[in-house]
Amino acid sequence: MSTALIRNPLVLAFLSILVILAAGEIISPGFARGDQISKLLTVSAILGIVAAGQCLVVIGGREGIDLSVGVMISLGAVLAGNVMSGSNGAIAPAFLVAGGATFLIGIVNGLGVTFLRIPPLVMTLGMTGVVQGGLTVITRGIPSGNAAPALMSFVNEPLFLGLPGILFIWALIGVLMWFLLRRTDLGYAIYAMGSNERAATLVGVPVRFIRVLLYGLSGLFAGITGVLVIGYTGNSFVSVGDQYMLLSIIAVVIGGVSLNGGTGNYFGVMLGAIALTLLQSVLTTLQLESWGRQLTFGVVLVLLMLLYGRSKRQRV
Amino acid sequence: MAPLLDVAGVAKRFGAVTALSDGALRVGTGEIHALLGANGSGKSTLCKIIAGAVARDAGVLQLHGADAVLKHPRDAERLGVGLFYQELSLVPQLTVADNIFLGHERTAPLGFLSARRKRADVTALISRFAPVLGDGFSPDVPVARLAADQRQIVEILKVLSRKPKLIIFDEATAALDRRQVAIFFDVLRELRAEGVSSIFISHRMDEIFAVSDRITVMRNGVTVASFATADTDQDAVVHAMVGDAPLRERIEHPRPANAAPARITLTSGTSRRLHGVSLSVGAGEILGLGGLQGQGQSVLLQGLFGAAPFTNGTIAIDGKPVPVRSPAAAVRHGVAYVSGDRGRDAALQGRSIFENIANATLVREKRRVFWPRQLKPRFEEALKQLNTKYASLDAPIGSLSGGNQQKVFIARWLATGAKVLLLDDPAKGVDLGAKADFFSLARGLAAEGAGIVFYASDDAELLSVCDRILVFNSGRITAELTGSTLTSFHLTKAAYGEAA
Repeated sequence: MSTALIRNPLVLAFLSILVILAAGEIISPGFARGDQISKLLTVSAILGIVAAGQCLVVIGGREGIDLSVGVMISLGAVLAGNVMSGSNGAIAPAFLVAGGATFLIGIVNGLGVTFLRIPPLVMTLGMTGVVQGGLTVITRGIPSGNAAPALMSFVNEPLFLGLPGILFIWALIGVLMWFLLRRTDLGYAIYAMGSNERAATLVGVPVRFIRVLLYGLSGLFAGITGVLVIGYTGNSFVSVGDQYMLLSIIAVVIGGVSLNGGTGNYFGVMLGAIALTLLQSVLTTLQLESWGRQLTFGVVLVLLMLLYGRSKRQRV
Repeated sequence: MAPLLDVAGVAKRFGAVTALSDGALRVGTGEIHALLGANGSGKSTLCKIIAGAVARDAGVLQLHGADAVLKHPRDAERLGVGLFYQELSLVPQLTVADNIFLGHERTAPLGFLSARRKRADVTALISRFAPVLGDGFSPDVPVARLAADQRQIVEILKVLSRKPKLIIFDEATAALDRRQVAIFFDVLRELRAEGVSSIFISHRMDEIFAVSDRITVMRNGVTVASFATADTDQDAVVHAMVGDAPLRERIEHPRPANAAPARITLTSGTSRRLHGVSLSVGAGEILGLGGLQGQGQSVLLQGLFGAAPFTNGTIAIDGKPVPVRSPAAAVRHGVAYVSGDRGRDAALQGRSIFENIANATLVREKRRVFWPRQLKPRFEEALKQLNTKYASLDAPIGSLSGGNQQKVFIARWLATGAKVLLLDDPAKGVDLGAKADFFSLARGLAAEGAGIVFYASDDAELLSVCDRILVFNSGRITAELTGSTLTSFHLTKAAYGEAA
């Protein structure tokens, strides 16, 4: 196989999915069974949807990254749980409230990064602290809220072709992301500003407006993910979203999106989300403690950075 | 007695570019020596060699009658050479006093810093410029809070504080007003009386004749003449700078009709580096912006494009006044901007040729949703007009040579059908073939009714394609060249002319 093919992140992500599946099947026969895979894809979808926002922010460049997605998922889950309180009629309002709140928080992130020129790492980390503190005050650290039964079955029960409804939503998001990035002026502008912000400005791209919007969208995706998380677990607690901060970034990197911005696509990120979820599941099967999983994920991220970070700068 | 500085046969190459092939300069003790030459004639390189900032490839350099080994600016400093940096070398966060003594701090016994000595020395230095320092100037103010002229004075004081025997002032007066220049010249004359020599580079011919004792002229990396200022005049100096230039090759074209409507008009455009500039470009006209580098030409083009909006002034496109506060507004009014610094200003590295072209079209036509196949034929046509060599629109931009990349960045505007083209030294660093393609294209676009404003750092490029040239000096238009005055003699003379 040629090195160019190995260097292609999509090929790499796909191969790692196959390898992890095979490894899982060897360690624990039945790992790759149909219903088991459907379950794993459901978990992948939740990670994949929050990673969609992360991916947009990273492609948009200027060291774009959103560390606040974790707490925004928690916030979305807590808000949705309290709005729904187990009632099917309140599912739509739950999405509205959770998505609206996190969208606005994302916009604040975007304004800070764009107009106050606060480094994204610092801005979104600071926002993480603020939201975390706010959540603790509101919930007093006690799990609260209940998912509506219809939402839980949408996330967990087979809907069509033996697959739960959330997977169709994820597929739809995949198509929409492709359309946004490859068929609209906004998508082209995102790549342009991620590749060279000054050049993008000089062809008339409204860079500042778009950057604020990207952080808003990342918040929105995190909020939606929060609602789906409570649909998956049934109820919500303050730290339910924490793990997604690191995972969403790793999924984006596995998917071939350069942290320098301006490259990559969401299809790769979807594969990245699946590969990472499988890895997590194998590690759980191995009965690795949470610290062991964290360590593995950290190592994976660093290895990926070494692999992709070495790609040469092209001539100007 | 040997001269203070004697340089002969100095050469320097940077990669494939020969910056200096036969530089010579002889400066006596207690002499103010002006060094002149067009853009790229090698005078800055020669100065950097004398100051030890650049190592020479060949040639002799004697200071105080002995061969000087200059491996580092410190070596030159030890031999009494001080260099005023054209690119300001100050640290913005430090105070005026700290900047002046940076690197040779005033010390007390045992090596402690001495605030008292620093205070005394800085007060003595500043007193010479006291009447013209302007508001808010004090030794304790951070340099970041000073205006451009005040920073330039700090830079001058920084050089003077080292008490050199030979000072190189590269464009030291660029940001100063007349009163400040007058005092600066008095300082130079006082230094001369003390036996200190200066090498003085300026883009104002009147200043050169007012202050210098001798003038040395450089052209294309060679020292071509040296005069005693008292025995020569401006025309003789300009002739030496221009040389026996062969008659320029004009790209022949029908003259635009005088009644052609104006494509773009600027009335008293003003910004930080531009003072009330008015101009008008007709349909079918190529208007050149001449003068030495950095006299406001690029600032003007970026102002017309909305990238660095004017603080004052009005822009009209096709006779209608339009607010151009952003590049997006300019693009939607059919204005295009091509920068010569394509790596910084144009290239979307890692993206395809198609994407590098598409963004401008999407902005211009406010297309929200599109399919690439709708646009590809148009983009291919634009690239063909420029004889661009590329494999496919989907190939990455980095797969092209520099000249072909620049063609892509021009094609992005051709595809928008822009009627006003602002060209900011677009042919900088591209090969001759690509240059020829640009200029015949520019003439072709003009013939189809475009209005083109063209700045080039290379005078030959301006003279070969422009119908008219406005010459800039210190943010003002100082001359307009048309018809029989479109010669390198007039262009050079006007570039060094007095600010209007």
